[in-house]
Amino acid sequence: MAEEYNTDGMLDIFLYESEQLLESLQDIVLDNKDEECFDEGAINEIFRVMHTIKGSSGIMMFENITRVAHRLEDVFYYLRESQPKNVPHQELVVHVLDVADFIQGELDKIKDGESPDADPEKILEELDKFLTGIKSGIVEKGKSLPPENTHVEPNQFYIAPTATESGKFYKISVFYEPGLQMSNIRAYTAVYALKELAEDLKYIPEDIISNEGSGDEILEDGFHILIQTQSPLDEVREIIEKGTGVERIDIYESSAQEFTLGFRDESQEEIVIDLGEQEEKPREEGGAEKAPKEMAPGDYVIKAKEPGKGKKLAKHQAKGQVKQSFISVNIEKMDSLMDLIGELVIAEAVVLQNPDLRVPGLDLTNFQKASAQLSKITTELQDVIMAMRMMPLTNTFQKMNRIVFDVSRKLNKDIELEVIGENTEVDKNIIEHISDPLMHLIRNSLDHGIESAEDRVAAGKRAKGKITLEAKNEGGKVYIIVKDDGKGLNRDAILKKARANGLLGKRNPDELSDKEVYQFITQPGFSTKEKVTELSGRGVGMDVVVKNIQAIGGKLEIDSVPGEGSEMSLKIPLTLAIIDGIVMEVGDTTFVVEIGAVQEFISIDEGMMVKEPNGEEYANIRGEYYPFIRLCDQYHIQGDAQTLEDGIAAVLEYEGKKVCVFVDRLISEQEIVVKPIPSYLKKVSGISGCTQLGDSSIALILDIAGIM
Amino acid sequence: MRILLAEDDFASRKFMAKYLQKFGDCDITVDGEEAVDAFLMATEDDEPYDLVCLDVMMPVLDGYQALKAIRDIEKQRGIMPDQAVKIIMTTALNEEKNVKKAFEMGCTVYCGRPVDLDKFEMALKKLGLI
Amino acid sequence: MEDLDELREEEENPLKDMYMTFKSGNEHFGISVSNVIEIIGMQAITQVPDVEDYIRGLINLRGKIIPVIDVRVRFRQEALPYTDRTCIIVINVNGTVLGLIVEKIDEVMKIDKNNISAPPSLSQNANASEKYVCGLARTADGVKLLLDPERLIQDEDFTSFDDLEDMENEAEEE
Repeated sequence: MAEEYNTDGMLDIFLYESEQLLESLQDIVLDNKDEECFDEGAINEIFRVMHTIKGSSGIMMFENITRVAHRLEDVFYYLRESQPKNVPHQELVVHVLDVADFIQGELDKIKDGESPDADPEKILEELDKFLTGIKSGIVEKGKSLPPENTHVEPNQFYIAPTATESGKFYKISVFYEPGLQMSNIRAYTAVYALKELAEDLKYIPEDIISNEGSGDEILEDGFHILIQTQSPLDEVREIIEKGTGVERIDIYESSAQEFTLGFRDESQEEIVIDLGEQEEKPREEGGAEKAPKEMAPGDYVIKAKEPGKGKKLAKHQAKGQVKQSFISVNIEKMDSLMDLIGELVIAEAVVLQNPDLRVPGLDLTNFQKASAQLSKITTELQDVIMAMRMMPLTNTFQKMNRIVFDVSRKLNKDIELEVIGENTEVDKNIIEHISDPLMHLIRNSLDHGIESAEDRVAAGKRAKGKITLEAKNEGGKVYIIVKDDGKGLNRDAILKKARANGLLGKRNPDELSDKEVYQFITQPGFSTKEKVTELSGRGVGMDVVVKNIQAIGGKLEIDSVPGEGSEMSLKIPLTLAIIDGIVMEVGDTTFVVEIGAVQEFISIDEGMMVKEPNGEEYANIRGEYYPFIRLCDQYHIQGDAQTLEDGIAAVLEYEGKKVCVFVDRLISEQEIVVKPIPSYLKKVSGISGCTQLGDSSIALILDIAGIM
Repeated sequence: MRILLAEDDFASRKFMAKYLQKFGDCDITVDGEEAVDAFLMATEDDEPYDLVCLDVMMPVLDGYQALKAIRDIEKQRGIMPDQAVKIIMTTALNEEKNVKKAFEMGCTVYCGRPVDLDKFEMALKKLGLI
Repeated sequence: MEDLDELREEEENPLKDMYMTFKSGNEHFGISVSNVIEIIGMQAITQVPDVEDYIRGLINLRGKIIPVIDVRVRFRQEALPYTDRTCIIVINVNGTVLGLIVEKIDEVMKIDKNNISAPPSLSQNANASEKYVCGLARTADGVKLLLDPERLIQDEDFTSFDDLEDMENEAEEE
């Protein structure tokens, strides 16, 4: 993935490009797994992938990868040249995937700094056997074998640096309090202290002792140190923190390369954001995404070397005119950006609703225009920032392809996966939390949901099972649905298990809807499978799935038709933090409800009310009856409205269900920043959070599902 | 095997010299210019080096300039590519552009620092030097 | 609004011997200054429906929304009306931030370990407040009950409405 590799390091590029190639290889194979054989295009592509990986791993002397890629390249060479018929396709598919897995395994080891030392002999043997089979097939048909596949041995090699135990590199930036006296001397004290545990040390500004003016530079730009040391980060930090007058210390792990280059003019680029159009030098034809800075011999001649200072390069490094269209961002920076935009929205509200503006007779026309412009910009800013964090689900969904393939083979079931809406975008945070739950749900469908081919045929279904994975954006929420056409959930079996586990309590099982019964399977330790299979059925999965989903504010709904299949729907709110709300008051308490949930506001009078003997009230609005909830009673608040006519009712809708909520008055429509109720307070049903309004008062966010 | 080492940093120089001595006689120079001089001298004396180890960041001439000079000398003398001396560049710089340029200019092995000694030896074997 | 910057500069004195003392009802209490973030005057409190009686609601502390509890009610005493002198001590206990509404702030004082003795073992009729006391301090102006912040915010004897309902249900089933 692009984000993980944010350097131009040789090894990183090798890893990144190889992984991309393996991914596309897997895609080709899975696309063609049900065909008779690979077509010409697929063969050429697979050959090309193996050839490239063979070459690049050869240069880096990753022997195992090279040998395996070499062997598979040979196989596809023969397929390309002789086009033999009756190639055992399924077997070939498995071989290619095995090779891909092997190479990926080695790449993972390299990434972790370990040695790629897996034993390739088994795979090589299998490939040899397969190749022999093909060759004899060709000869049998009377054709002659094509000339041997020629391999050019590499004659230039790249040796990646080792990650040694000795010598870690850190970059330290120290920022002193403004106006601090003699910051240059303090900086020197820090350097002196660090010398104790430094193998090598560089800093900027350099002339801290000789030049008093360096103090100003330090106050303005901070004092920066590059250090090579055996000591761990905490020890380094401890030494720096001893100094007084320090406002902030940033310590980053650095690298031998950064240390060697020392301090250059431009700061390290570590942010990756799509920059789009910029007036830089025109992009090269064929659009390589990066236009690397050109280097020339002589760039690295050393001018002078003095203690404590980096090797000064005689040639001034050219200012980066790099035009990159992608950069990767530290996720913490994105999070603080999100927090700040939340604060901005609140601050904007405080300004626009400021009591100072309520001077009667004040002409606020210009002010209104300006504030409308301000609101427009903050809304756009929000949108852009939300968009930055959005990523398509494609990768996550692609992973599922492989899982379905592997598992269905293992279980000897023929199952296909249909993917819909894989380009749907969600917040990056969601993607991280969704992967495992989805995997588990799909495994469930594969293992428990879809029956064996015989059972299916006996039931009148087609032998091949189908799982549909769908994603869509609707009404500010993301829906991810895993549907299978298997045997569905067994209500009675679930109830039985629920009773055995003591989950039923007082409730009468007959009064529970199907959906409510199905929810029992999300309880910890629940599984109606007698035997635990390797894949699922250990009974620890579903509750963890639900927890993961709740962690991102979502919920899991389960539906099923016995005999026909099950449907697991994940509903996840799209933007967690900022919503458009309507502010309402009941007595002294202020509530906010999301604007999307509001159907209408309506005046109510006694004539519209119907009261049941059990105390429940209903309002008759244009012939329809809505459950009527008085918030003052619901929450035991002293409301102001003496009669129904004094207040106002809001008709709210949630998932098709409607309710009529009675409040004293409406205040305004506002954008609000959702903040969680402090965890110290136990959960109050019907309240999902709180927020700060423009007048600094606190409002409670109404959760409609909770009050129904 | 005759080896030429060019390295300006004392500690690295000591380390590399000691390591390379296992494989053959090692001549030591401390900057790019000295290295090219040494190479020229050896060639003229008909005792050419089998292996040249160049640091990249050096005074007077950097590793790339030394590399170019050595390849130019060989071209001038009509030395064929398969007879050309094997050149290993060692450096902490690992960006793709650095490696590509080195290969373009005729560097045989680009070795990142800290040096992976196992891989280094593997490369020497592959090049037929040991 | 007082803050503790002066205290923090006296680096020789570790903060743990410094206590914030205050009055609630007839007793005087102290709480370790290491838990105290700041002290503010009484503010508008937003009530939250259906919470325990000692949780008075939420306040807006410069953008951060934190819950406030009435110390008297927490100690099962009757709440007193809030006056100008009523203050809120904002404390941080292992990451949980909340405000304590107290009747009157006394002062920040150093209490030497030697002057602190263990609390008496709880008798059956123990006043609720004594459960949260981790030590008795002898000072120039009388005995102060030192509060254990962690037990103060814990809700071991707290029963929610849901729990009550469950208990009722279980009782019914028997």
